[in-house]
Amino acid sequence: MKKRKKLIITAAAALIFLAGIAGSLWIWLAPHGQTVEILQDDKVLYTIDLTGQEDRIIQVEYEGRTNTVQIQNGRIRVLEADCPDHTCVRMGWLDSAAPIVCLPNHLVIRFTGLHETVDEAL
Amino acid sequence: MKVKRLTELALLTALALILFMIELQIPNPVPIPGIKLGLANVVTVFAVYHYRAGEVFLLVAARILLGSFFSGNMMALLYSMAGGFLCLAGMLGLKHILTDSYIWICSVLGAVLHNIGQITVAGLIAGWGVLFYLPMLLTAGCIAGAFTGVCAQLLVRRFSLRAV
Repeated sequence: MKKRKKLIITAAAALIFLAGIAGSLWIWLAPHGQTVEILQDDKVLYTIDLTGQEDRIIQVEYEGRTNTVQIQNGRIRVLEADCPDHTCVRMGWLDSAAPIVCLPNHLVIRFTGLHETVDEAL
Repeated sequence: MKVKRLTELALLTALALILFMIELQIPNPVPIPGIKLGLANVVTVFAVYHYRAGEVFLLVAARILLGSFFSGNMMALLYSMAGGFLCLAGMLGLKHILTDSYIWICSVLGAVLHNIGQITVAGLIAGWGVLFYLPMLLTAGCIAGAFTGVCAQLLVRRFSLRAV
């Protein structure tokens, strides 16, 4: 009986692992549009169509700290941030459904199209 | 006996903190918030199988609190707390079923629970868009949890051999 429980739990762990891989692949490969939005605290600050967008810099502030968002050659990234970890800078250019997130400054940069299709699917 | 136990727990807390600080010095290869190896969890898993629930809780709480003081990242405190305690609750529940050579599975599920707690807090703070990271967190969490779990399993079994 105990042996069976062990096996069931092991199988559940394996399933979670496989689901994680499948989900990651889906997010990595999922098609996305060219429209991005910059959100803070779940409120949309900017909606930008990257095609034909001129190169520019956007400063987003949060409680005195700033994230410098750069748009160049139809791509977007966080160029500089004065948060403690700089994870958002190291994430580089936005190139998949996985958004660029700066947790300390409550900032999210993501493609819009995909989220709509996900909302519809839900 | 009480003092001996207290000393052991204090030593384990110190050990966990050292592992935590060493890991901070290693640059994170994956630029995704929340993904890390979690070496300090070797100590947590070991403690789950060796001490009472309340004792492990104290150990983990002290580790997380001191860890965020030392790393200077107070923002991370909330995520670590949510993740750490959910993980601990899960492992304490599973330890009676997952014994001996299944200890590492317990660690994997602990890591999964840690990720879920972590991303829930992140979602509350930064919006639910962060849920797109859950699959990646789960994959990495399973691998990291398996690694730390195998380490802890070796320790637990050696200690139990010695005790006999």
